[in-house]
Order: sequence, then structure tokens, then C-alpha cells
Amino acid sequence: MYREILPALAALAFAAPGNAEVLTSADEIVARADLAAYYAGADGRSEVRMIISDAQGRQQRRQFTVLRRNIEDGGDQQFLVVFSQPSDVRNTVFLVDKHIDRDDDRWLYLPGLDLVKRISAGDKRTSFVGAHYFYEDVSGRRPADDTHELVETTDEYYVLKHVPIDPANVEFVSYITWIDRETFLPMKIEYTNSAGNVYRRVEVFDVEEFEGHPTVTTSRVSDLLTGGQTDMQFRYIKYDIGLPETVFTERSLRNPPRDWLKRPES
Amino acid sequence: MKPWPLLLLLSTTLFAQDDLWDDEDWGEEETGTVWSGFVEGSLGTRLDTDPLIDNKSTLEELRLRAESEWSPGKATIGFKADAAYDGVTNEWDIEVRDLTAAFTLGENFDLKIGRQVQTWGTGDLVFLNDLFPKDFVSFFAGRDDDYLKAPGNAVRISRFSSAFNVDFVWTPVFEPDVYLTGERFSFFSPLAGVNVAPRPPLSAIEPEEKFANGEFALRLYRTIEGREYALYGYRGYFKQPNALTPSLEATFAPLTALGASLRQPLGPGLFNVEGSYYLSRNDSSGSDPRVPNDQLRLLAGYEWEARPNFTVALQYYLEWTLDHDELIANIAAPEFAPDERRHLLTNRLTYRAGRDKHTLSLFTFFSPSDGDFYLRPGYTYRYSDQWSLTTGGNLFGGNDRHTFFSQLQDASSVYVRVRYHY
Repeated sequence: MYREILPALAALAFAAPGNAEVLTSADEIVARADLAAYYAGADGRSEVRMIISDAQGRQQRRQFTVLRRNIEDGGDQQFLVVFSQPSDVRNTVFLVDKHIDRDDDRWLYLPGLDLVKRISAGDKRTSFVGAHYFYEDVSGRRPADDTHELVETTDEYYVLKHVPIDPANVEFVSYITWIDRETFLPMKIEYTNSAGNVYRRVEVFDVEEFEGHPTVTTSRVSDLLTGGQTDMQFRYIKYDIGLPETVFTERSLRNPPRDWLKRPES
Repeated sequence: MKPWPLLLLLSTTLFAQDDLWDDEDWGEEETGTVWSGFVEGSLGTRLDTDPLIDNKSTLEELRLRAESEWSPGKATIGFKADAAYDGVTNEWDIEVRDLTAAFTLGENFDLKIGRQVQTWGTGDLVFLNDLFPKDFVSFFAGRDDDYLKAPGNAVRISRFSSAFNVDFVWTPVFEPDVYLTGERFSFFSPLAGVNVAPRPPLSAIEPEEKFANGEFALRLYRTIEGREYALYGYRGYFKQPNALTPSLEATFAPLTALGASLRQPLGPGLFNVEGSYYLSRNDSSGSDPRVPNDQLRLLAGYEWEARPNFTVALQYYLEWTLDHDELIANIAAPEFAPDERRHLLTNRLTYRAGRDKHTLSLFTFFSPSDGDFYLRPGYTYRYSDQWSLTTGGNLFGGNDRHTFFSQLQDASSVYVRVRYHY
């Protein structure tokens, strides 16, 4: 009897540290990273604050709450971003309908004019509210927009190189991601421009687990050409809160869903 | 004494900025009262002189904005008001831009009562079905774009459903545009045949305050697969005093408008089309020269990011005056009558640099049929979360004195505004 159990125990012992299984398909790694970074839970909320620093060290701040709902894992999603700081963008609301088979639909509500402004599809790799983050970084770049190649598998990371399928739409020629083998969270991303220089870097400094989902809580985007950077912190994270579809409509632009935006007690 | 020194004082005392990152100061959960707003100093001057107006200054003010929000129980109370010293009129001015109580009634109804700014429709600085009040004086003087939308006292009921959403806005007392009165800018008078700046300033006769003279605006809308469809209805008055009473005083003509719009992605950009039929209830046949005729208004626009951070938006707008022959046959001065078809082209160029620290923009109105134009160049420097500087111009020109932009030739101006947000 022991002879039967021992090999099974041995197998378990080796399998224990998370995902010891080594993936070799770049597309599969990217798909799992996309799920880990953008699709945790069926929905979720987080409060975010940014410190935007320019090369001279001058700082600006942004603070907002993000609500997210998955329509399908790895598929369409909805995002609602409601700003609370600074005072000139307070009550500005950003709504994204993210699509896999076509361009995302995005709206920005400007409370001073009571204006629901739509943002054109091409306008995605531009600064999100003055940060070094892009509009596209809020809801995530579609895996299908790039080709992926597994460059290296280290003890900690899958290192992948990504090349855009339509290079005319983006400012980079390629980018490299370091994806944590355990959590599948991209821990570092470096973008290379046509001159062959790394000009933009995204780094994750802290990951914490919330309701079983490893989640980035501190990160930074650096502009290596001009020297500026945006630091981001995520707090009051909660998953599977039961956000209904109706939260992600024009109604929420004018009348943000206060019950859902309220900071959770625990 | 003019209150400029206040701004200097603020610049030295309020500039302290907390720059600690790891202070864990995530702010109060926002159930308490948070006050915010800004202090703004603005100066604007005419490029030429207007022989009818002594003051070369078009903008000279110090403005304080205060706003807040409370949520007692299920309601949300909004408040936003400006106190401004206007050096052009030498007056203190208090304007409440928002004083509302908003309620969510059950799953599907929102109700908002009080003084509020409202916008709908797809036009960019061109309005067809948006018949909420506009403040053209602020717009031409160089105040922030937000001031183009004037507040009105209204009740707004919104119903949401998966089939379509409905907004119904009742403005019990007609709220006209803030129109040209001759106080800050002179305007063309078809009766006089020249620009005028009456003293006292023009004060058009407004409809008697009764239920039937209120404004009723309706919008039905739905978004399907990224396409935004909307239908509009309005019963009220033309927002500009473009009619005359029997004793030839300026007044507002009754108006019913019906329209529709569509906005959707197209190629790399956004396409919008909107139309509206303006039924002039007191002159549907077009034979009364004192009352505007029916009009058909059409708009088509396209906006796209032509280069990174550089956006181009083009619009074509048509104002088609119906029964134009009747108008010409009856009007005293046909040379000043509107063209049967007024074509207007607009172009908005926006360039952002340094992650929106610098915004350069140029909005152009050009009417090939009226032979006039209006240019709005502007530059905004967002120095910090607190300080920003905006400078720009309002430049008018044209061939004939009587057309809309041409009448403002002597109002061409440049301005600068400095704003401190608190």
C-alpha cells in the first residue's frame, strides 16, 4: 500500500509551490497574464492614487475609484473611473466598454459643461489625466494586438517579447514583459522605440493577495527619455461585490453610483 | 479699490503643497463636506476700438468659485456658485451655477430639481437640439468654456430601461440665452441697419410667466453596439431675442423643435450626425417678417487623432430657413435677411504636450455663405494641480456688417486668465 501512496506524495510535494508546471506557449502565458492583471474576480473595485512627477521633481496628484465588471473572462469588460482629486477634475467620470472584437468605446463626463464627451478609438496611447499612464493602460491592451514570443524562462519570470501587429497605431516597436511565474502578474514592462532605446518602463513594487487574487498595490511608470514618472497606489480593493451592468451606463456619468463607490468597511 | 492684490496674497500663502507619499492619507471617506473651487483673475482687451463702446476692456474680473456636495439620506445636494467682481461693468456679481437636490427613485428613475447646467446633443460649439441656455457674452469675452453653458432652474426626470432611456426637463420659467445687449459688445440691428449699443442695454421682452410658457425638453436615447441614437423634442422659445413685438421691441418667438442624432465610431475616429426641425409656432408660413421662419438644421462631424496628441475635429452645419421667398417678400430690409441656406464649417485642432501640461487649440468657425469667420486660438499651461494659466483670443471678421460673426468685428479681443484651484 505504501508503495502506491509514496509516488503520489512525491508528486504532490513537487507540485506544491503554485504553478511549478512550466508553460512554453507564449500565447498561453500572455492569456493567463491578461486574466491575472485585468480579470480577477467577476468584478471588483479599487481606489487609486497617483503621484505624477516631472523631470524637475514637480508633483501632481490624482485620486479616483475604479469599478470593473467582466462580461466574460478574457473577453469584454466594463470600467467606471470616478475622480475625487484634484479639485479641477473632481466628479469627472470615465467610462470604458472594452471589446475584444472591435475598438473600445470610451466616454468622459465633464461636469462643468454637463458634457458627455466621447473619446475616439485612435486616441488611446495618450496621457490619462496628465499621468505617464495611457488611456489604454486603464483597461489593458488586447493580447491580440501584438505577437508574442517567449524569450526566456527564469526561476521567477517568463520573459516575453511583444511586437505590435499594427505598428502605425503605437509609439513603440516592441516591448518586453517579465511575468511572475507564480501569480502571472507582469512585474516589469520595458518599451523600445524605433531608435532601439528603452524609453518607457512599468514596474510593480508590491503585490498583495485579496480574496485569493494576487493584486498589484504599488507600481510605477517611468518616462526614461524625459525623466518623469507616475507612481500609483491601489487601496480598498475588493472583488466579487456584485456590480450590476446598469452601473456602467451614461446614468453613472451624471450621477455616479454612490452606493457602489462607497469605501468598503473591511 | 480693485481686488487684484488678493490674488497676489493667495499666491504667497496658499502655495504650500503637501508632497508626502507614504502618509497613508487617503482622504476622508466622502460623507463629510468637502469644499473646493478656485480663484481666478482675468483680463481681456479689444484689439480695435468699438466706436459705440467706451471701454476697451472686454474682460476684467476676479472670480471666486465655491462648490460642495452633501448626501443627506438618499438625496444629494449640489452647490456651485461664483462671486465675481466685474471691472467692465463695475459690479459685483453672484451667480449660482448649481443648487440642486438629486434623488434616485427606485431602480430606474433619477430626479434632479433646482438650478443646473444641462447639455445634450452631438455638436461641438454648435447647438441644434440642445436648447438649454448659453451665455454667449461669456464665450465671446474669453471666460472659461464652461461658462458658455448657463444654468437654468429646472426639474429633470430621467428614466432608465434596457429598451431606451428618457430625459424630461421642465424649465417652468423660460430661460433665454445670455445674449448681446450692447453693454460689453455692440450688435447689429436690422432696424437701424448698423451696429448699436443701446443705453440702457437691450432687454428683450420675455414670455409671461405661466405654465404654458415654460420650456419642455425631451430626449430618448439608447446606445447599441457603440452607436448612440437619440431623439429630441422641445417646446418653448427661440433662445435668442430674434423676434419683434408689434411695437418693434425685441422678444422671443415660440418654438417647437424635433430632432435626432447619431454618434458612432467610424474608422479611426468618431462620426456624428444630427438634425432638427425648428417649427416657429407663430410664423409657420414664413410671412411675418417680425418672427423667424421655420428652419431645418443639420450637422455632420468627424473627429480623429491625426497624430499622437493631435486631434482634428471637423463639422459641417446647415441652417436652412424655410419659406425664404415669403420672408424676402415681406421683410422691410431684405438685404439683412438671413440667407436661405447658411453654411457653417468648423474645425477644432487640439495639441497636447507634456502629458496635458500644455494644451494648444484653435477652433475655427467659417461660414462660406455669410462670408464671415470666428477664430478661437487658445493656450493653457497647467503648471500644477493648483495653478493654471490660459491665454487666447476671440477674433471675428467678415464682409457684411449684418452677419452673425461679422457684427462682432469690433469685439475681437485677446485675454489671459490665471486660476488657482483650492
